[in-house]
Amino acid sequence: MTALTTSARQDWLLEPALAPAVDGDAIRPLYDAAARGELALPFCADCELPLELEQQTCDGCGHAERLWRQVDPRGIVHAATMMHRREAGLVRATDPYVIVDVEMDSGHRIVMTTLTPTDATPRIGTAVRIGFRRLGDVAIPAVNLETE
Amino acid sequence: MSDRSSVAIVGMGMTPMSLTPGGTPLLLACQATAAALADAGIEHGDVDGLLVGSSQGVRPDRLGVGFAAQGGFGNLRLLEHIEIKGATTIAMLQRARDAIAMGEAATVACVFADAPLVAGKGSGSTYAHSGGNVGVRGLERASGLLGSVPTYALMTQRWLHVTGTPADALCAVATTARRWATGNPGAVYREPLDSDGYAASPMIAEPLRLLDCARPVNGAVAVVLSRRESVGATRLRILGTGRDHPVRRRRADAESWFGGGRRAVDDALAEAGVTRGDLDIAELYDPFSIVTLALLDEYRLTGDVPAGAFMLDGQAAPGGALPINTGGGQLSGFYLQGMTPLAEAVIQLRGAGGDRQVPDATVALVGGIGGRMDHHAALVLERAA
Repeated sequence: MTALTTSARQDWLLEPALAPAVDGDAIRPLYDAAARGELALPFCADCELPLELEQQTCDGCGHAERLWRQVDPRGIVHAATMMHRREAGLVRATDPYVIVDVEMDSGHRIVMTTLTPTDATPRIGTAVRIGFRRLGDVAIPAVNLETE
Repeated sequence: MSDRSSVAIVGMGMTPMSLTPGGTPLLLACQATAAALADAGIEHGDVDGLLVGSSQGVRPDRLGVGFAAQGGFGNLRLLEHIEIKGATTIAMLQRARDAIAMGEAATVACVFADAPLVAGKGSGSTYAHSGGNVGVRGLERASGLLGSVPTYALMTQRWLHVTGTPADALCAVATTARRWATGNPGAVYREPLDSDGYAASPMIAEPLRLLDCARPVNGAVAVVLSRRESVGATRLRILGTGRDHPVRRRRADAESWFGGGRRAVDDALAEAGVTRGDLDIAELYDPFSIVTLALLDEYRLTGDVPAGAFMLDGQAAPGGALPINTGGGQLSGFYLQGMTPLAEAVIQLRGAGGDRQVPDATVALVGGIGGRMDHHAALVLERAA
């Protein structure tokens, strides 16, 4: 029972040493929302332009306040690659894994891997839905290829 | 206003480019600087300006302004550490030229040293372990984006898709670089390479193979700039420079992996008073094969021919319309960031290229990029008559 619990918590891809340091992180609101199973992303508090994750001042209107807002966890594949190099000590997976640059319906672009292992690289333009992996104690957005 | 166009590169020194651990940035910088001063026929005491460049990131042994003392200099009127990622080398030359033109210093040494290879670790491993676990990079690394190869693989997939370029153009970049490198005794890869050899190289992140990636080395290059006619046996004038720092957004409705930078080349050519057709060689910053393609396209260096077709047709190879990365570039030559393209331009314009010499090379374009093609710097060099 203990062994099963441990393995259920183990990420399929990476070692927990790669878990983000959430405390004090500029993108902590993303991790807090992810822990609740929600995807939150930053927008300009004034003109609502979608901002990059570490962007503070809006490039559209110059406003310097941002808001993190829950968004629809759907998007399309903007680019994708199959990663063959697996660094010992960092990568647990024994097969190549997929990395996807997802363009969210909200307008943001976020790099993710997949929720579960796959040997097929999704094509550019493929519609995807976002779920969450757990790496160490941190929930990380990931592409769920099976739901669309 | 002083005349900037009379400022010239009057000396250059290079260490051997080592594929094995050994040498600290300080030791390498001292060797390259000594060679550059000897090449210019001057001594440490003649140098009144020193610009220092080093790899980004915090390393305890990275070269800094302490090199003034460590490197045996004295009485400097100009001393700066310059850091704009892969655009650092050209930024140093811009600063040196302007300082000389404005009378801030008369003889300026620019030195860059790096020693990323450490005992017991491959360079791929070193890069995979770097990047930290905070901010966007922390999120990316927690998603398996380790090192810079998968980043450039995403860029590649997107660029090939948008431009409709066949993936074999990447192979053409790698094999063309190798053709040049076979004539360069200073290149780290010199054995002939054909498309079968390329296809046999290990896949790193699709479609990038090992041979699509630069080969980091431990090494250093230093150059000396002056406008005094009495200094140096050969003079390469800096005719023009340009910079562009496009800020692309990772947001829908525009490309975010590439685009922008052409202004750096446009401005450098305009200041130099030359056109793209006047260029005898182009030495570009090519850490991955895709970057050569993307820059040729962005900089409009292939006329009406798409960049991929230009490479596949051999137009960047020996005897082609525009010889590119004539020492093998960073793929087959050596990866010492912005010093790789600069050093090769100097060698070619001096007519010192040996088996890889481009006949009558007189005008060179030198490029530098930093980050994920976020910073572009360009330089037009001419062999003084």
